[in-house]
Amino acid sequence: MAYDYQAVHALDGMIGAIAERRANHLSVHRTMAIAMVLAGPGQTAEAAGILVSNGEFEARFSGPGEWLVLSQVHAPETLAAELSVRLGGFAFVVDQSHGRVVLTLSGPDAARILANGIAVDLHADAFPVGRAANVLCNHLSLNLVRTGDQSFDLVVMRSFAGALVDDLKVMARSHDLSVDFATR
Amino acid sequence: MSAFRLASGGLVDRSHTLRFTFDGASLTGHAGDTLASALLANDRLLLGRSFKYHRPRGIMTAGPSEPNGLVTVGSGARRDPNTKATVAELYDGLEARSQNRWPSLAYDIGAVNNLMSRFLSAGFYYKTFMWPAAFWEKVYEPLIRRAAGLGRTDLPRDPDAYEKSWAHCDLLVVGAGPAGLAAALVAARSGLRVILAEQDFVLGGALLSETAPVGGEPPYVFARRVVEELQNSPNVTLMPRTTVFGWYDDNVFGALERVQKDVAALDAAKPVERLWRIVAKHAILATGAEERPLVFGGNDRPGIMTASAVSTYANRFGVAAGKSVAIFTNGSSGYRTAQDLAARGVEIAVLIDSRAASGDVAPDGVRLVRGGSIVDTKGRQRVRAVVADRGGFEELIGCDAVAMSGGWSPVIHLACQRGGKPVWSEALQAFMAPEAGPALVTAGAAAGHYRLSECFDDGARKASAIVEAIGRQAVGIERPVIGEETDPSFTALWHVPGAKSKAFVDFQNDVHTGDLGLAVREGFGHVEHAKRYTTGGMATDQGKLGNINAIGILAGMRGVSPAEVGTTTFRPFYTPVSFGALAGTSVDGHAMPIRRSPLHGWAARNGAVFIDAGLWYRSSWFPKAGEKTWRESVDREVRTVRENAGLCDVSTLGKIEVFGPDAAEFLSRLYCNPVLKLPVGKARYGLMLREDGMVYDDGTVSRLGEDHFFVTTTTALAGGVLSHMEFAAQVLWPDLRVRFLSVSDQWAQMSIAGPKARAILQAVVEDDISNAAFPFLAARAVRLKGNLKARLFRISFSGELAYELAVPAGYGEAVADALMRAGAPHGICAYGVETLNVLRLEKGHVTHAELDGRVTPDDAGLGRMMGTSKPDFIGKRLSARFGLTAADRAQLVGLKVLEPEKDIRAGAHLLKDGAKPSTLNDQGWVSSACFSPTLGGHIALAFLKSGRERYGEKIVVWDQLRGVETFAEVCDPVFVDRENTKLMA
Repeated sequence: MAYDYQAVHALDGMIGAIAERRANHLSVHRTMAIAMVLAGPGQTAEAAGILVSNGEFEARFSGPGEWLVLSQVHAPETLAAELSVRLGGFAFVVDQSHGRVVLTLSGPDAARILANGIAVDLHADAFPVGRAANVLCNHLSLNLVRTGDQSFDLVVMRSFAGALVDDLKVMARSHDLSVDFATR
Repeated sequence: MSAFRLASGGLVDRSHTLRFTFDGASLTGHAGDTLASALLANDRLLLGRSFKYHRPRGIMTAGPSEPNGLVTVGSGARRDPNTKATVAELYDGLEARSQNRWPSLAYDIGAVNNLMSRFLSAGFYYKTFMWPAAFWEKVYEPLIRRAAGLGRTDLPRDPDAYEKSWAHCDLLVVGAGPAGLAAALVAARSGLRVILAEQDFVLGGALLSETAPVGGEPPYVFARRVVEELQNSPNVTLMPRTTVFGWYDDNVFGALERVQKDVAALDAAKPVERLWRIVAKHAILATGAEERPLVFGGNDRPGIMTASAVSTYANRFGVAAGKSVAIFTNGSSGYRTAQDLAARGVEIAVLIDSRAASGDVAPDGVRLVRGGSIVDTKGRQRVRAVVADRGGFEELIGCDAVAMSGGWSPVIHLACQRGGKPVWSEALQAFMAPEAGPALVTAGAAAGHYRLSECFDDGARKASAIVEAIGRQAVGIERPVIGEETDPSFTALWHVPGAKSKAFVDFQNDVHTGDLGLAVREGFGHVEHAKRYTTGGMATDQGKLGNINAIGILAGMRGVSPAEVGTTTFRPFYTPVSFGALAGTSVDGHAMPIRRSPLHGWAARNGAVFIDAGLWYRSSWFPKAGEKTWRESVDREVRTVRENAGLCDVSTLGKIEVFGPDAAEFLSRLYCNPVLKLPVGKARYGLMLREDGMVYDDGTVSRLGEDHFFVTTTTALAGGVLSHMEFAAQVLWPDLRVRFLSVSDQWAQMSIAGPKARAILQAVVEDDISNAAFPFLAARAVRLKGNLKARLFRISFSGELAYELAVPAGYGEAVADALMRAGAPHGICAYGVETLNVLRLEKGHVTHAELDGRVTPDDAGLGRMMGTSKPDFIGKRLSARFGLTAADRAQLVGLKVLEPEKDIRAGAHLLKDGAKPSTLNDQGWVSSACFSPTLGGHIALAFLKSGRERYGEKIVVWDQLRGVETFAEVCDPVFVDRENTKLMA
């Protein structure tokens, strides 16, 4: 018997192919290495120093002494181990590559669409590029980060990904939105 | 004919005609009309019947405080009752109907109530419908509901879409009149993020109906110029058609935007209404002032309006309220209306001033009566004449409209919604907004500055102060030169003595002066009591027009100042908000999010029937061809697991990783059983108590490393346990060095149970999982063939040899498929939560059906787990309290049904054999029940008084809901494999 496991994405079968991208677009990342880093007691500053975002990975605020680290360089299987080594005794690292789904919402109306479910002020002055927050989007919790003037990443628990995409479609009802899987 | 469209004037677009219907009659209006102005232009004065007496009523105002001009707009499921005609924007194809009349508006049978009014006084319901008590629900209430009330709602589903949005700003300006525009302009030029919200569909407020030139041009032109500048400012958001209805904590405002209430054909891409939550650093209420009606006999007849409304209809809409208008005023506003009408060539029948003297000058040729009043009006469905009184001399004066002005009240509703009480101003004879702190100020007429120039100055000044408070440089504006201004001074006149007929105070709820007198006489003179007793201020308009007069009248009757009477409590909403808007998009599938297991696709492919379990969709059972009932499927699944093996999705269990040097100590205090000495690589059942000693949740604790644990919770309390842990870590024991994190979504977890579980699993797992290498309660990382990392736990809920295998969620389906393939030769089946339930019930394992918050560990038969030697754990202290240790507490037992054809159900109660079926004889209850294919009969878990001493006793299971009594035998709750030989095999 051959054991070659194919990973299934939480949104497989829920997102159809699209002919073209619309003005606003929701891109679902198929694979992403994700880890949660919890600074050891009293070691937040040390862990933060090591977690400065670079080309390899990006550390996003997820709570006091907690970071959501994403990487497209490292594989889901190796990111957590890699971070553990680098952080040494300063933090605990937990793989969440399968526990979270990453969506990128971009377009001129991105902030306006999100304002239909998220209470945080998304004006560029108040929520600049790189700022991250754990927010409530209607009924769902997610980690939101501004990745550009007109683009945001939404990181949501896997089991809620379908519900979030359904919600985003309704939130974007008055705005031209397309949804598909990211090409890379 | 009386009301009519003037030949010229107004801001309506006369080149653009709109068709609409009222009670089926086809009428026309113009773009820029409200429904009210268009109805007036068509001389439709009678719009509805009043709430209680069914008196004919017409339009009274030109704005959102309208008490009478309520109509139903639209039809079918889109029917919108109680729409204020004075706010509704006219559109082509609008269908409006009158309300609270039968059989027709003109001939209404309910009007007999008016003749019976001496029997329908205030407090009438309380006094009359007290007895017999049983009559209230069946007879009185339905009758009253049919006779009283206004618009009716429909049951069909609302087909419209709604939306809820958040907005943020430095300054929210409520109201786009002169003060609001000036404030917004200063803030905009100073670079603040500004939101200007206005309930009207045109921005400008009083400037739209004002005639004095502003900056040398008509005021509406000036307003348009300012709006244009604001529109072009990127830092300004204009929100027309948006009513700010509530002021909440943290300076959050609720506002309702009517997105598509002005069109017949809806754009499906847009919501009909949008509910805004506006988070404002500062807010300026520039909500203007409301003109008071005068309380005189017959003051409710169609054709009687506030003077400012008469002016607005003439100036803004080019509509004359009548051909011959009588004006009754207690201040200068009546004179201004006289000027407005005279300027447009409308005849003024008489101008009656309640004051004996004033500096106000009536237009040339207008008959002025000083020190006079109106004591009655004549006419049936519209006013035909007024009975004027001066010094006891009565005179009938013909007219077809009456403009009344009782002075002005600042609109301060929002400023009082968070507990602040309005403050009486003797100088202004009005209630003013309380000091609400720097985050909310009133400006312009809302702050008692009534003159146009004062409004501009006040708005600009207050905005400048806010700009500076925010730390920016305020850019001032130059106030335009304003033409001749009116100073609307007045002498309060709460009610007009000598009324010859009912003088209404609250028009919408038909409360008149006599009702208030009765309230005072009967001891309900306190303003909050009088409100409830008379229902004054309790209608949909919430007394916007009438409350102030009611307070003045109560003050007069009690011989005190209005300051002493005070106001009733202000609460959101300022105007009614539809339920649709409040729900927003959270309807149907969006009312609660659906949560899908990583094995959902696998279960669906295997034919699962799903069931809602909280937010989760869980596989309930897996029917095979030929199985007609769920029981057939479940019985087969149970037998298969007991004889061969089964695979069940348990991914929905809460999963939490716990780290840190004090992780063991932390968990030891969290669970009631010992955890500290749990060896690495081992799992243990864990029981958590609440502080009160009752069981909170159960699950497993596995030690993956010296400082690393993995705990599971029940599906239902996954979130609750995490919060509980956060509380314990942050509040109870901040000194413990521990960190934890939910990994519920990272892992797909499946239970493989049955005597052949090991053989099947070994085909997939690389590591040795023989009984010696991986004994009962082993827990550690393993590698699957194909090089996939996984975690394996040898734990059992079914009582069989069983494992729980966890793999990264994305691989869940592939691994489940592999296990099903490997298990096929062994006869494996997929099983769902129904079978899971039967299996655990046969084994006597508890779930939240048993652990329902009233149960101690000892009640559930788990008393031996309590780590009584531990220094402390949550629930330890209160577990020892009297009552929790009593010998006659209900204890977990098993029940075997003694009558083969009968089943028992959870919720049934237990009685001694021979006892009368009554809760007085209650001995306990059934917590869960099922048919056991293994035992071939119905069994149950139950809680029975001193149950463990009563094994073998025959008792009665009393199901009062079904009216059934069934004999059962009390037994040990573990029905299968009491010696755990299967578990350990």
